[in-house]
Amino acid sequence: MRRLVLFLAVVAALLGAMAAFDWWVDPFGDIYKPAALSDALASQPSCLVSQELVGARYLPFKLDVFHRRPTTRFVVGSSRVLKIQSRPGEQSFANLGFPGSSPETILTELRALPAKPVQTVYIGVEAFWFNEHYVVPPYRPGTYDIARYLLSRATFTFAFRFVRQAHFILTDRWRREEIGTSCVIGRISPSIAWKVDGSRVWSWELDPQRFPKFVPAPYTTDLASLRNGYYDQWKTFDANRLRIMREALDLARQRGWKVVGFAPPEPQQFLRVIRADPQLAARWHEFLRTMPRLFAQEGFTWAGLWNGAALGCTASDFPDAFHSDAACSERVRARLDAVSR
Amino acid sequence: MLFNSFPFFYLFLPAVAVGYYAVPRLRLRLLLVVLASYYFYAYADWWFPALMAGSTAISYTAGRMLEHAESPNRKKVVLATGIAGVLALLAYYKYTSFVGGYALSFVHVITAQSFPGLHSFVNSIALPIGISFYTFEGISYLVDVYRGDLEVERDPLRYAFFISFFPHLIAGPIVRYGILRPQLERKHHFDPDRVRSGLMLFTLGLAKKVLLADALAGWVDHYLASPGSIGFFEAWACAVGFGFQIYFDFSAYSDMALGLARIFGIELPWNFDRPYRSASPTEFWRRWHVTLSTWLRDYLYISLGGNRKGARRRDANLLVTMGLGGLWHGASFNFVAWGLYHGGLLVGTHHGRRLGVRVPRVVAVALTFTLVVIGWVLFRMRSASDIGGVYAGMLGLHGMGGAPGHLMLYLLVSAAIVWGLPEEWRWPVAAWGSLRVAAVAVLFVVSAASVYTSHPFIYFRF
Repeated sequence: MRRLVLFLAVVAALLGAMAAFDWWVDPFGDIYKPAALSDALASQPSCLVSQELVGARYLPFKLDVFHRRPTTRFVVGSSRVLKIQSRPGEQSFANLGFPGSSPETILTELRALPAKPVQTVYIGVEAFWFNEHYVVPPYRPGTYDIARYLLSRATFTFAFRFVRQAHFILTDRWRREEIGTSCVIGRISPSIAWKVDGSRVWSWELDPQRFPKFVPAPYTTDLASLRNGYYDQWKTFDANRLRIMREALDLARQRGWKVVGFAPPEPQQFLRVIRADPQLAARWHEFLRTMPRLFAQEGFTWAGLWNGAALGCTASDFPDAFHSDAACSERVRARLDAVSR
Repeated sequence: MLFNSFPFFYLFLPAVAVGYYAVPRLRLRLLLVVLASYYFYAYADWWFPALMAGSTAISYTAGRMLEHAESPNRKKVVLATGIAGVLALLAYYKYTSFVGGYALSFVHVITAQSFPGLHSFVNSIALPIGISFYTFEGISYLVDVYRGDLEVERDPLRYAFFISFFPHLIAGPIVRYGILRPQLERKHHFDPDRVRSGLMLFTLGLAKKVLLADALAGWVDHYLASPGSIGFFEAWACAVGFGFQIYFDFSAYSDMALGLARIFGIELPWNFDRPYRSASPTEFWRRWHVTLSTWLRDYLYISLGGNRKGARRRDANLLVTMGLGGLWHGASFNFVAWGLYHGGLLVGTHHGRRLGVRVPRVVAVALTFTLVVIGWVLFRMRSASDIGGVYAGMLGLHGMGGAPGHLMLYLLVSAAIVWGLPEEWRWPVAAWGSLRVAAVAVLFVVSAASVYTSHPFIYFRF
């Protein structure tokens, strides 16, 4: 019996130690670390939180952002709404969008928020969400996934490499760094970072000398490679996602919230791609027809905004020919605020 | 569910083992393990348990009918019907695609008709894992009962346990009921030393799979990706590497199965005994996948007449037995060719003995190993062109090529284990002291942490 207990005890102790070490270092950012946001908020003015510390745990991070502010107005949507930000001194606005969003993530997010106080919600809806081939990346890992992550050799190996590269991680987990004119709560290579209102700062915005600006990929009409293939093989409008979107709007309506829907602005090159592809054009126009109707049915407003040029956003306002920059996003915010009044 | 998977060893195994010893009554324990085994099997695909239940019901019913059959002729009919019943399932799921595919191609050549609907139907038949193993177990039970070597099992629960017991369900060892039955008649009390010994044997198998077989697989797959241009050194390193890989992979599964069964107080037959130490092909088959080779010997080779009807008939029986043994591995001509190749080696061994040539054992071992390695190319590569490519490489027809450095390192480590250490099930793990126990526990954690990148066991596809 003694040796059986020894075997099991050694296994349990080693697994526990490994899981604790992996949890502490968390090399792939699979564990949400609320203390990093606390540290960012504790500085005056607030620091940014490096993407290294948020990793793939966007949902708890954004919910945390919401709760740490007296939020009464927020935006949700994909990575293309992430430059919509609060104005100087504005505490009531939060950006709760994140990469890999979809009607499913928006419904989950809205459900996780408290019903009161009453909110004004801007929902940036992507057309490609209704492509049945669009796969939503995992956004809510379960206990099983976390356990697998903590007990994997790959996690341990990378955690070990992290610690070898930056010894401070063993004691402090992260540190405050000055990058350009900003302070960032980060680790080894803070590049993309998050403001405490939930909006995103590109690496080249932090320090243009250290981080090069994006070189947008040349536009292609090959939908399999354009924008990660999000629009590829889009034959039917996904009725299930439409139902989930309606469910999210229904929830907001029941809570007495005000909702304004919009499609994040598109650069002109992309609109030319749509025009050149009859199948995509048909789906795109179906999207533009369906959304105003859907929002109206729930008593909400659809603001459109998909045409970047109509907003005054030029090609240079889309640094990677996909995401709008801060200036263009500010125009979007202004239009949304106006519509919501 | 894979043995080398997170849910298996952190959830399934502890839950079933704790439940097994917590349940006071023997029949409830058997029921628990049967239900757990069906769940284990359903993890692969939800309908697999129905197939296993069908196969179990056929062989169980045929066994009961054998008991009641009075005349020898009636017994023969019952035996033939029972065997045909379980074989029909295997034949349908394993060989329809193979036979149907070739038949349709033949018809296409003759009539220029392609029958696309039939083609897609034939190609859609998925092979349920483990079916080859439990089919053979059912057949061995029926033949043993027919021959009077085994009393018929009247208890369907015990019989279901025999067929479904999860440690041997997917890839053996092929268990005979005569070995298992006496162990199912008594209740096994919790014995910490036996449980520890089972856990340690399981760990040794897991480590062999994850740290050796999978590492070899990565390099072998890498070099064999372009068999049409593989150089002399790479081709030989890959052939030897695959020989080690498949041995570590399959014997690891067997070690894990033995260890798991031992946790439940059950001893399964061993399947491997360092086969690459064999000094002849005959000895190789006494050490390699022993439960299959003895099955083929007892139920096929001997039934065909064995060596009782002269040398020519014996040679033919060997070729038929090994050819069918190859076909059992997979519905593909390369497996038949591999089986026939080994049949040829066995025939050659018999004839070689008559010449009375004696060579030192070390030379005989080296020669046997080389012949077995040459045969592995047939097993590993599927198409004739790929097989030809690797053989051409081994003959130097694509040039010498570079020395595969990393693979060579693994080959040296593998060789040291294969020729320097006894088979893991022979290790006296039950008597090991605290230091070794702790070392195996460390090995478990290292291996368990590596399973995420682990390859499926090679024998799962058979």
